[in-house]
Amino acid sequence: MQTSSKSVVIRLDGVSKRYRAGRSRTVVDLIASKLRRGDDHVYSTSRGKVDANVWAMKDVSLDVTEGAGLGVIGSNGAGKTTLLKLISRVTWPSSGRVQVAGRVVSLIELGAGFHPELTGRENVYLGGGLFGLSRREIDRRFDEIVRFAEVETLIDTPMKRYSSGLYARLGFSVAIYSNPDIVLVDEVLAVGDAAFRRRALESLRRLISEGKTVLFISHDMWNVRRLCDRILWLDGGRVRAYGPAAEIAERYMSEVNLRALANQQNALQSHRGGTGEIRLTDVEILDGAGRPADRIVEGGPLAVRAGYEAAEAVPAPLFQIAIVDVDTGIVVATAVSSPTDVPALVNGHGVVECVFDAVPLRRRQFVLRLTITDSHQLVSYDVVTAGPRFAVVAAPNTRPGDDEDDDGLVALPYRFEHRVSSMGIR
Amino acid sequence: MIAVATPALSDRAERVGAAAYWELLVNLTKREVRGRYSQSFFGFGWAIIQPLATMAVFTFVFSRVGNMSGDGVPYSIFAYAGLVPWFFFLNSVNSGTMSLITYRNIVTKTYFPREIIPFAQVCSRLLDFFAAFAMFAGLMVYDQIGLTRWAWMAPVAFVLLILFTTGVTLITSSVNVFYRDVSPVVQIALQLWLYVTPVVYPLSRLKPQWRFWIVLNPLTGIVETFHSSLVYGRAPDWQVLGISAAFTVVVFAGAFILFKTLDRYFADVI
Repeated sequence: MQTSSKSVVIRLDGVSKRYRAGRSRTVVDLIASKLRRGDDHVYSTSRGKVDANVWAMKDVSLDVTEGAGLGVIGSNGAGKTTLLKLISRVTWPSSGRVQVAGRVVSLIELGAGFHPELTGRENVYLGGGLFGLSRREIDRRFDEIVRFAEVETLIDTPMKRYSSGLYARLGFSVAIYSNPDIVLVDEVLAVGDAAFRRRALESLRRLISEGKTVLFISHDMWNVRRLCDRILWLDGGRVRAYGPAAEIAERYMSEVNLRALANQQNALQSHRGGTGEIRLTDVEILDGAGRPADRIVEGGPLAVRAGYEAAEAVPAPLFQIAIVDVDTGIVVATAVSSPTDVPALVNGHGVVECVFDAVPLRRRQFVLRLTITDSHQLVSYDVVTAGPRFAVVAAPNTRPGDDEDDDGLVALPYRFEHRVSSMGIR
Repeated sequence: MIAVATPALSDRAERVGAAAYWELLVNLTKREVRGRYSQSFFGFGWAIIQPLATMAVFTFVFSRVGNMSGDGVPYSIFAYAGLVPWFFFLNSVNSGTMSLITYRNIVTKTYFPREIIPFAQVCSRLLDFFAAFAMFAGLMVYDQIGLTRWAWMAPVAFVLLILFTTGVTLITSSVNVFYRDVSPVVQIALQLWLYVTPVVYPLSRLKPQWRFWIVLNPLTGIVETFHSSLVYGRAPDWQVLGISAAFTVVVFAGAFILFKTLDRYFADVI
């Protein structure tokens, strides 16, 4: 948590960033714009006169203290990458002031400076130079860099022979070992396998514990929560919220859920497959009290109610519901109706309801995937890949942030016991 | 918690040691040279073939057909002595103009002093220059031309050549980020520039009213000094060299200021 003794290492003071829309300029455009002096519009053949100014960031003020893990969240176009580019001096604010203390390393794209014709070894030196390391400093860290990226056997091979995961690993490794004071990470851990992702997160966490500052952009709230103690929520180039991670994450997730709920009718129409003899018309998630809900209490009951319409008589359809974790896409649980649950022949309108008495899921977001198939599960009549979403929230009597270190998707009931033993488990 | 001495807040990008930027320059140069000559059969040989072939063409056109002489030395070595610095300038500016666009990937994603990119273009052409210059030494021996004490003026001309070339490259590369029209204009200008520089003809052959304008071209004094110090073994025309040196310093300083003014907008418009 923030204490007054820690000094500020990143300070934004009323920062705005404006980009000009429209195609890139040529001399012809320059002359044209000089003729229409003071007119800040561009002329598009398809849309007519449009405002040329796009505000990627508007009046943002912010202090980040040393040793902070700051998660940066927000929808696409919220200004997250612009913020990182401003802090790393890749770009400069249109107005306002950006102040930074110490050496900044930005991971906007892993291995951006690498050249495919050069070997891994040569690229380590090239990339290290880009991050401000001298030859001597790279010499000293070379073995560690290579070991962390696990590319020992390929280090003298041109990088065009590397897989994209390997490329990214070496890029991350060079950045992490370049002795930064501030690390900016932009959604780059999506590449690479699970083992590397875990080690990368681990190394970022170690940097924070060493007093370095990490800004972490990710859509994966789970990783944000695990790494960051504070969250900055950007929305349309402005600061929507800035505060303790648990609180902001909770607010963000519930808003995302509301938005998803508002789009539910659309969601049902898009991502649609199947042959269409029978279609779902509407799907609702119900809480324990039987009310439509987008939030389900941890371990509490959940029901799915689905209305359907059969254009013709369909013999013994099977209804399937899959609960899918939004961040990972993992199917957490499935439910399939048995042939006796619905009439042998359905026609016209009907409603099916599936009740889960207890939902032992972690506090994450889930989405329903709904399918109607024939009795042999060979023909799919209807497939809704992105049905309604719901979030699992803490039971009212638990404090927020109670279980911050609980990993996984499912909460199994457990208890620990202990007894003294001199020879193993016997 | 480990106590860390925190640097003060600053509006500027953190300055890391010059050693790191030197390392980056060396590596970008290496990357440039490797990219240019990898998977080519002659490889580095092209650095020599280019001025040599041009020398052959000009020797045929000017001295056989056009009856131009080298003022006491074979015309071919006279032409070659001018073509080596000329091609250094031409190639540096040519590839330098597009260099920031070529490296947009790192310009938009990491911070480093952007001038390192055009610097690396010029540095990569230094290798070509030295290769072609080694060939020049061979030609001097073949033509039995000895060096005099005025040969020490060649390094002076060489330094001016690097400064002027770098200055022009800084201008064309930075403005080209904003207006891509720069690149074709540069192509045309470079073609004409060869003929307003006494590369393949001696300055002494020009009529006085022409001479005045040609001397204002900074490359004139530089190329003339290469000619006089190495091929003729005599003192340079101090007045011509002085004009060149003055213009070169002004161009380089102006170019550097322009580049540093524009470079904060590169990532936005590139």
